[in-house]
Amino acid sequence: MFAASRPRAATWGLIAALLVSVPLVAAPAEAPGILISRQLAEARHLAVGDEVRLAAEPSGTASRQFRVVGIYEPTPDPLRFAQPPLDVRLHLPDLLALTGDPADAASQDAVTAINVALADPADADAFARDVAGRLPGVTARATSSPDARTNTFVVIERFHTAIAFVTVLGSAVFLLALMVMLVDERRSTVAILRLMGFTRRRILLQVCAEGALIALVGAAGGVLFAIAVQGLFNRFFQWRYDTALVFLRVTPAVVWRSLVIAVPLGIGASLAASWSLLRRTGAGLHR
Amino acid sequence: MTAPVVEARGVSRVFPMQAGAVTALADVSLRVSAGEYLSIVGPSGCGKSTLLHVLGCVDVPTAGALRFQDRDVATLPDAERSRLRLREIGFVFQRFFLLPMLTAWENVELPQAEAGIARAERRARTAELLDYVGLAARAGHRPSELSGGEMQRVAIARALANRPRLLLADEPTGELDQTTGGQVADLLDRLHGDGTAVVVVTHDAVMAERAPRLVHMRDGRIVEDSTR
Repeated sequence: MFAASRPRAATWGLIAALLVSVPLVAAPAEAPGILISRQLAEARHLAVGDEVRLAAEPSGTASRQFRVVGIYEPTPDPLRFAQPPLDVRLHLPDLLALTGDPADAASQDAVTAINVALADPADADAFARDVAGRLPGVTARATSSPDARTNTFVVIERFHTAIAFVTVLGSAVFLLALMVMLVDERRSTVAILRLMGFTRRRILLQVCAEGALIALVGAAGGVLFAIAVQGLFNRFFQWRYDTALVFLRVTPAVVWRSLVIAVPLGIGASLAASWSLLRRTGAGLHR
Repeated sequence: MTAPVVEARGVSRVFPMQAGAVTALADVSLRVSAGEYLSIVGPSGCGKSTLLHVLGCVDVPTAGALRFQDRDVATLPDAERSRLRLREIGFVFQRFFLLPMLTAWENVELPQAEAGIARAERRARTAELLDYVGLAARAGHRPSELSGGEMQRVAIARALANRPRLLLADEPTGELDQTTGGQVADLLDRLHGDGTAVVVVTHDAVMAERAPRLVHMRDGRIVEDSTR
């Protein structure tokens, strides 16, 4: 098993840089295995079975020999999507041996962060409290909890919500204007129906049904368009930043929310647009 | 005396305007009996069409009483007045007012469908009416594919769809040439002959002379009501 270690980004970058700068040499038979990211493999033309030397210092001192035993697709990090993840994963003892100062026994512990997978994620808080009690100075927190990293996304989400609100408001005004024009074009039809003996309620129901249908078709069209664009959008940016990160995802919740907002808006706009006509008498309409 | 289909007693209709109120009808009393045929004539703006709208329960008087088949129209809610128009009153207008997206057949069938008449009965009635107005062969045509006279005949067939007791026609020959207008007038004569009460508002003296009863209006009032 590989330890789920995760040094800081700078450390990874440093290791990656060293990987590039250190020439390949004949490897001892027992060279420990490492995993490298797909991006690193592509950037340095490495393949499984290749031997490399890694060092913690840019000068390449105290480098150690490793063998590439696997290439992995890194979990996309939204905070680093613009930087190619030129990462290496080592067994924890190998990492400690590589980064520690042989003269300083304490340096063997110089790992800034490690991820711990719990059998039951619900134990995270209890585990964090336990770690804090046993190891003063070490902070443990559940990865699912909001922290400084996810706060950025909370702000972005709020920003998106605000944009969505303004967009929906603008669309509603546009829809209302459209329905007013549509209804006004049908002024003579409404007049004929009223003269013929159709009740206001009957015509309103008809208009509501039409409004709901238009809104439903519009929302469905919008959702289909978003789904189509989603693929293109994701493919473009995944290509652009060489990442598996999903930038845009139309979820069932998004679809549902669109329908829940669009259909009542369509009906409301139809009603508002029709009411000005229907409250007039048939005689007033056909003059 | 035959029972009245509709009766206006001291009816006035005032339209509030920004420049001041306009009195379209002033103290008008008129009784239309079942099966009667009368023409209303007078200069433009004298209130003929307004009276027609009031008699047809499209508009409500601002003063006076209007009774339709012994029911006080002023006290009826809008839905009830709509029902009256649908089942008891037929309208024919100068500009036909057919629904352009529907065929002649569908235009005639629509009010019957709204009145809840069964499909088989509707089909029979629609065929009968289009045959009555001489347009059985044009049933599948839309208004844009019909001549003015044909459109007016479809409008008459539509007005008769629910076997109304009263047919109100506002300048029914106003947009037609003399020959076509004569055909439409003949159709109205025939309707009257079949027992429907017909009220025609017209500027056409020849058309007006066809009715046994002639009502003259001026300045929102009836100035002469004569029967030959």
